[in-house]
Amino acid sequence: MTVATAPSVGEIAAELEISGAWLVDPAAGREGPADLVVREGLIEAVTWLSGGDADGIDANGVIVAPGFTDLHAHFREPGFEDAETVATGLAAAAHGGFTTVCAMPNTNPPVDEPGVLRRIEAAAGASGSPVRVLVYGAVSAQRAGERLASLGELADAGAVGFSDDGAPVHSTPLFRSALAYAGMLGVPLVDHPEDPSLTDGAEANEGLVASVLGLRGWPAAAEEAAVARDLAILAEVVRDVPTARLHLTHISTRASLALIRRAKADRLPVTCDITPHHLALTDEWLAGSRDWSWQATGNPWQAGSIVAAPYETALRVNPPLRAVDDAIACLEALADGTADAIATDHAPHTAVDKDVEFGLAANGISGIETALGLILEAVDAGRLTLLRAIGALTIGPARVLGHTQRHAFAEGNPADLIVFDRSDRWRVEASALASKGKNSPLIGCELPGRVLLTVAGGRMAYGVDEG
Amino acid sequence: MSLAVPDEVGSALGTVVPSVEAAPETQSTGWRHRHLLDLDVVTWPEIELVMRTTDAMREVLGRPIPRVPALRGKSVTLLFYEASTRTRVSFEVAAKNLSADVVNIAVASSSVSKGESLVDTVRTVEALGADMLVMRHAVSGAPYLAARTFAGSVLNGGDGWHAHPTQALLDLYTMREHLPGGSVAGRKVVILGDILHSRVARSNIWALTAAGAELWLCGPATLLRGFEAWAAAGGAAGRRFTVTSSIDDALRDADVVMALRIQRERMAGGLLPSLREYTARFGLTRERLELAKSGALVMHPGPLNEGVEIAPDVASGPNSVITEQVTNGVAVRMAMLYLLAGAQAGGVASEESLR
Amino acid sequence: MSSFGQPRLIMTADEIRRAVVRISHEIVEKQAGTEGLVLIGIQRRGVPLARRLAGAIAEHEGVEIPVGALDITFYRDDLSLIAQQPVVKGTALPFDLNGRTIVLADDVLYTGRTIRAAMDALVDFGRPQAIRLAVLVDRGHRELPIRADHVGKNVPTSREELVRVHLVEIDEEDGVDIERLEPATVGVAG
Repeated sequence: MTVATAPSVGEIAAELEISGAWLVDPAAGREGPADLVVREGLIEAVTWLSGGDADGIDANGVIVAPGFTDLHAHFREPGFEDAETVATGLAAAAHGGFTTVCAMPNTNPPVDEPGVLRRIEAAAGASGSPVRVLVYGAVSAQRAGERLASLGELADAGAVGFSDDGAPVHSTPLFRSALAYAGMLGVPLVDHPEDPSLTDGAEANEGLVASVLGLRGWPAAAEEAAVARDLAILAEVVRDVPTARLHLTHISTRASLALIRRAKADRLPVTCDITPHHLALTDEWLAGSRDWSWQATGNPWQAGSIVAAPYETALRVNPPLRAVDDAIACLEALADGTADAIATDHAPHTAVDKDVEFGLAANGISGIETALGLILEAVDAGRLTLLRAIGALTIGPARVLGHTQRHAFAEGNPADLIVFDRSDRWRVEASALASKGKNSPLIGCELPGRVLLTVAGGRMAYGVDEG
Repeated sequence: MSLAVPDEVGSALGTVVPSVEAAPETQSTGWRHRHLLDLDVVTWPEIELVMRTTDAMREVLGRPIPRVPALRGKSVTLLFYEASTRTRVSFEVAAKNLSADVVNIAVASSSVSKGESLVDTVRTVEALGADMLVMRHAVSGAPYLAARTFAGSVLNGGDGWHAHPTQALLDLYTMREHLPGGSVAGRKVVILGDILHSRVARSNIWALTAAGAELWLCGPATLLRGFEAWAAAGGAAGRRFTVTSSIDDALRDADVVMALRIQRERMAGGLLPSLREYTARFGLTRERLELAKSGALVMHPGPLNEGVEIAPDVASGPNSVITEQVTNGVAVRMAMLYLLAGAQAGGVASEESLR
Repeated sequence: MSSFGQPRLIMTADEIRRAVVRISHEIVEKQAGTEGLVLIGIQRRGVPLARRLAGAIAEHEGVEIPVGALDITFYRDDLSLIAQQPVVKGTALPFDLNGRTIVLADDVLYTGRTIRAAMDALVDFGRPQAIRLAVLVDRGHRELPIRADHVGKNVPTSREELVRVHLVEIDEEDGVDIERLEPATVGVAG
């Protein structure tokens, strides 16, 4: 495989030749050895190889895929720039292989009116990064959960969906109105399903680990009950508003996925995403285990798998890391299509907010740069096919957003792709992360799939020479 | 166990003078943990070592001047984020009996709301020369954060709902001292009360299952949440215990009954209808105690809510060893400070033994 | 522990017996009788030694001298020993020390730190009239100004050697041997 030296971030990928890599094209449902040429930022030629030319090329080496889309990331600007800015967030995205990122509106001020949305877009433009930022508008004014935000104005300004993420839309009447109104505007409502009356002060998934560690339990039922409510309301709203669409984000439990599976079988317009950490990690990590979910036994004390100190605050997240069975259910849901997409829920935090007692630490994992690595671990373990995994990061999110699928490798289209080496393991260090958020539980771990090149919209977004 | 002094001497004392027949060089168990954060990582031989060291400390406490210079020149800081006179004084007396210098820091409220973070406080304490840090905190897991930051030894004096290792050790010591045969193996031990919120219960689960006791946890269903699942998981690993809301089943033929304090906050949290109802269904009364074996031990970590979880005549009755628990508490804490100082001096690296 | 050669016997059982008898006479002689005498053995092997001395005095004087045991574990100045030798052997001093003449008994006198620790301990128990020291073997190399009043045998040694006293109450038989060690293994001071 050869890659012609590319220019610096933001510049047009003038001339790029990738030969003899494993090309994964989920839109075409196809993967295999191929050559690729990019000229002046556009796809010039894609040649699938066969016979002798394809010799020795397999899915274990260099892989070319469409650029990933992250349906759920927190860029913290405006208001919390010490944790992350749009610029650092986009750099982190490019490092992680993401060429499109959907930013959540829980900024300060929140994105509850177009001016803030335009601020974020301006910050993206000023950063010089070619990675595309799409912005969610808030559902409620001030994200207070009482009145609707200026949904129409936000949609006109380009909001790609509405969400109060960080929080659910707890008021059922408001949720119902928002679902209908957003449906009218042709934009999905993205809900963070959580029944807050069951999670007051909750610290960790309710289960064996929380019991032993003396942490306040976060019941799976808190998510399941909210999902059930959301789906019940959706079923009624679609009768009046057939274009209503609901997307449930960061689903983490078997019970929730069962409800979603049945709703889809009933043809309800619902989609959902799952985070990489809910696929690969479990609550056993809080006890000090470092087993991947497919290795974990359910009792780290019995298994003798505790290798690290307990109460690592980088593991505190909403929804919490769940028990083994839930993580396995998440992997199954991705495989069978119940889950449409993988979204990172990238949540950077400052050391001040995380380097404290567990019960006082902020929720969130800085995960956009380690997402690919975790997913490849699952693929390596046979829990997911490579094609399905890449699909969940590309065509899956595009479908959720309702975007017409631009075929990533069609000749003449702008190049929006990434190149990574599956066999190249890289060590996750705080200094290696482009994000300001160093709150990753994977620091010190080695992950597969070092990203070598990210091209977004025909322009350089990340290349290893830059480091 | 024979005495290394003329038998008449030992029995005249009335105390058990420990003796080991094998030469010290052949005993492989030393205390290898830099910190004491929880009993989950402490092996049974290590617990036995603590018991024997406590015996010796009890002898010291019986002297006219109950002091030894073992920790002379060492500085012990007591960092208490939760108010607790009895535990703090117990640790203070223990440290002073070992001739250590003691610094007391009482933090009125949580670190975050009042400015200085836990990490900053620990760094300051270290800069001021503390060799050992005894910590009590309202948030589970806080001592682990301190242990990551502190170069010396951290001794957990109670963290949130999670652990209170010295309490479990003194409970075990007290049981062994008063049970015929000097062992809890095979004995029915019942912990009664608000198990869910109890760090005393959790640490006792580790200690008593390691000791081979037949452990029962009893309380209202709302205060036992999660323990049935833990019992099922623990049974698989050989650390078995029984969970029940039937006080009669729990107390029947019990050798030891440990009552836990029930707090008013549990009503506000919607977990209990009233203290009156708790006392009626789960209070340890003289009548209920008759279900247990005659001579069964009555224990309580304190402070007591007399008339609520335990009847006053039971708390001060002939079965009660509650005051012995307090005395043993000082001895156990002396033993732990001593063993931790030894581990530090012996160069147990903090990375090797962060837990 | 490796050694260059086999341990060499330097006191036989008989020699120990005779030394004990001689020292028991010396103790009484120095006190001009048995009034106020108390024997305290330093754990571990000082204890059977103290008992034997008391037994010998009882035989030739017909008086039972009180015997106690003193564990100096908590009085050592080297905390790193705790990890290696954690087990505490126990102190039992069931008599009033005030005004008494204490004869400390130990098996080997080496650097003197054990005796210093023992005297530190005794001070916490009361104020004796006098403290004397009886040892079975004095091997030299004092690091503190400590001197034995009664010595079973003076044995000049080098720092690479280890002197071991065996007493049948604890070991299988009576005897004192000396062993040469590789320099790196010279360990705990006595």
